[in-house]
Amino acid sequence: MQEKPISIYVHIPFCEKKCAYCAFNSFCASEKQKEECLDFLCKEIASRKVARPVATIYVGGGTPSVLTEEQIERVANAIYDNFDVYEDAEFTIEANPNSITENLLKKWKSLRVNRLSIGVQTLNERSLKQIGRLHDRKTALEKVKLARKFFANVSCDLIIGLEGQTEKDLCRDAKTLLELGVKHISCYLLEVYENTPLARMIANGKFLPLDEEQTISAFNKLATFLQDEGMTRYEISNFAFDGWESRHNLNYWARGEYLGFGLSAHSFLNGKRFQNAETLEKYSNGEVVEENLSAKEEDEERVMLGLRCNLGVDLSTIQTYDITQNAYFDEYLSQGILQRKGDRLFLNPLFWHVSNTIISNLLP
Amino acid sequence: MKDLSLIRNFCIIAHIDHGKSTLADRLIEMTGTVSKRDMQDQILDSMELEREKGITIKLAPTRLVYEYAGKEYILNLIDTPGHVDFTYEVSRSLAACEGALLLVDASQGVEAQTLANTYLALDNNLEIVPVINKIDLPSARVDEVKAEIEEVIGLDAENCPCISAKDGLNIDQVLRAVVEQIPAPSGDENKPLKALIFDSHYDNFKGAICLIRVFDGSVKRGDRILMMRTGKIFEATEVGIFVPNTKETAVLSAGDVGYIAASIKTISDVRVGDTVTLADNPISEALPGYKEVQPVVFCGIFTVDGAKYDELKDSLEKLKLNDASLQFSPEVSSALGFGFRCGFLGLLHLEIITERLEREFNLDIITTAPSVSYVVHKTNGEVLEISNPSNFPSAVEISRIEEPIVNVSVFTPPEYVGAIMDLCQEKRGIYKDMQYIDKRRVEMKYVMPLGEIIYDFFDSLKSRTKGYASFDYEFAGTAPADLVKVDLLLNGEKCDALSLIVHKDKAYSRGRELTERLKKIIPRQLFEVPIQACIGNKIIARETISAMRKDVLAKCYGGDITRKRKLLEKQKEGKKRMRKIGSVEIPSEAFMSILKLDDNK
Repeated sequence: MQEKPISIYVHIPFCEKKCAYCAFNSFCASEKQKEECLDFLCKEIASRKVARPVATIYVGGGTPSVLTEEQIERVANAIYDNFDVYEDAEFTIEANPNSITENLLKKWKSLRVNRLSIGVQTLNERSLKQIGRLHDRKTALEKVKLARKFFANVSCDLIIGLEGQTEKDLCRDAKTLLELGVKHISCYLLEVYENTPLARMIANGKFLPLDEEQTISAFNKLATFLQDEGMTRYEISNFAFDGWESRHNLNYWARGEYLGFGLSAHSFLNGKRFQNAETLEKYSNGEVVEENLSAKEEDEERVMLGLRCNLGVDLSTIQTYDITQNAYFDEYLSQGILQRKGDRLFLNPLFWHVSNTIISNLLP
Repeated sequence: MKDLSLIRNFCIIAHIDHGKSTLADRLIEMTGTVSKRDMQDQILDSMELEREKGITIKLAPTRLVYEYAGKEYILNLIDTPGHVDFTYEVSRSLAACEGALLLVDASQGVEAQTLANTYLALDNNLEIVPVINKIDLPSARVDEVKAEIEEVIGLDAENCPCISAKDGLNIDQVLRAVVEQIPAPSGDENKPLKALIFDSHYDNFKGAICLIRVFDGSVKRGDRILMMRTGKIFEATEVGIFVPNTKETAVLSAGDVGYIAASIKTISDVRVGDTVTLADNPISEALPGYKEVQPVVFCGIFTVDGAKYDELKDSLEKLKLNDASLQFSPEVSSALGFGFRCGFLGLLHLEIITERLEREFNLDIITTAPSVSYVVHKTNGEVLEISNPSNFPSAVEISRIEEPIVNVSVFTPPEYVGAIMDLCQEKRGIYKDMQYIDKRRVEMKYVMPLGEIIYDFFDSLKSRTKGYASFDYEFAGTAPADLVKVDLLLNGEKCDALSLIVHKDKAYSRGRELTERLKKIIPRQLFEVPIQACIGNKIIARETISAMRKDVLAKCYGGDITRKRKLLEKQKEGKKRMRKIGSVEIPSEAFMSILKLDDNK
């Protein structure tokens, strides 16, 4: 019998320029640093070989599209050399519009990449400048069009909550992208993290994000629009036409296992979660933070992950407690917050944006 | 034969912060009662909480040995609590002494509390020796304070000791004054035993301990002792003195201060103010001044985690072992579940007990807003005493209500007279009298409902007078009042623990403040929640908490599931401090918040 497939995530921690809102582990590196980092990354991939087939690969960041053709080829080959990757595996690369070139697209294609996730964020010129993106509206549209020439499966990210953003703007941006043949859109609420340039801009009155009310209201309008266009909101932030969902992300929600390579990458293998160190020095020493999940924590994950997407939770998999006896369970069902179909429990998508409250109440 | 002329029994009267405990420490140090090595600051304040708050709650007597003019004197120092909540305890401590040191801060001068306790001491015919403390402070105004003592209290302060307890300056003068000015005890050790219980505490091995002052006769181990108020008889298993720890002695006789242990199981058998005599040779009349201590402030105490009810019960019982004035009985609240209605001597007492429950017993508790005890006359002739607003009958069943009132005296610099008058008026105070004590101090007298005092009076007084005013009160019976019960509805459901009794004229404004405050305290819920204040069925105020919009971990960074799980776990943990009323979750602080409303915000 064949082993259960896993996913592979590769973290490319480099960016051409940090975006104003980014609190993520990425930085601008010199060519030399990049090479050193990739050397180590490829070694790491080789050293963590497991006898499990690979169903999805996701190269994220950072900005993976800053890697040259040779560099991305090294990474891809490191995976192919060490893992048994399914013929039809989903292979996603995250890309910024400005770094996409025809040559790079061709290279990716040749490496069996078959899905692009493009960081468009918005098509509003002013907003793009404010949040420190390197591309403008025109570039974004051209590059998405170009990407579509090589790839059927293209996803774009949009940010909701930017200064002056209206529901109309958002829906128009989405419509433009759909007209270019985009099959998947991730809609992220603008989050302001401490110590980011954006946080300082807000503190200095130089950026005025939408308030919570406006943000959620705009999101909901966008969601309605996308659903009217035939997409399904299959997770809090993700919309796709049927069959174009991100299999890699679905694997996370379904508690499928995965290996994460690179700085600060997370893995989940043989029931154990672990994370590579977050600083280059510790990472290159191979430092890892391990976590053994208790049965209770596994159940917490099942509830938390299942309720954030349209997979729902299979109640029969919950081992350590009877969630139906939870003080909130019946109340939420009667209020239409939870929906139950046989053994499956779903969170009504209308409440996905307040899911922390609901899910935390339902934990053991 | 013991020489009574070599004994002095005295206590220290002082306002909070005037340095009483520090002086006591210096006296102990000077007389070598405790070696410097074992000295811990403020050693008479035995509870951690007391040391932290800098106030003395429990009396801890100690015996000092002082050499003077070639003779060895025994000075029994009985420390006293300096707060209005404990006036009765103070009065019994005073009754155990022949004299008192009146300790006054050289920069603050005479305060309301000092004056009240000085009067108590005068009532007990004590010789009072003024002592001016903190003369090391740059702001010290020794001569003015001396004049104030002479003016306000009528004591000769001309040659009184002026000291710095902190620096140990002139402490010897204090000891000399005690010997020279305070009379030696009188009494006859051949008469039958007559001793006053001025305090009690509970010892896990010896049972309830009586702290006594012997006036006549003597007592030794094996004696059968009779508590005259309760009529109970016990066999003394140990008698002794405080040095300041307990030390067994063969006998305690007239003039002595010490303790009796008699395997007494419950502290309520040892009543402060009771008289101890010998069962086989009793005296005919008990000492005067005994009172049953009645709680005046009440509140509900519940555990944040409802499952910890039994722990709360055990903890209260343990506290009660040492504190006969603490009362409690089970209470059930639809909002807060099972808990206890507790009665206290005052707000400080309440605060001390709740803090001890949290610190010493590690309980997470919810307290409801304090209330006083009302006398409710029903239309059917029934008369009820009610200290829990949620037990109030409906308005149609009530013919009239009486509330406890107090005589309040406020000491203040003259520039705050206007502000205090406004405050007292807002608090339904009736002006009685005002006297200029000197050019910088005024004493103002009001009659005021106790219910208004426990509702933010102290904080308002402090904030409106920049902390310069002090106040004191004593009970003055009850008076009829036009009171109504204001209920709080959350999402249409009544929250019993938030009900309060308010004067009719203030019901609207209080209702409005309360709904506004709750709107701030209660976090957004999944649905919109109306908050209403009502009298009976009539809505008098309304606020709305809009529905929560955003509470989500939107992004999944490269499969970081652990961070998400931990955030949610933490959120769940935070929920433990919430109570559910119907489908509305309210933080436990909300219940206490009714108290914190400031009319003047």
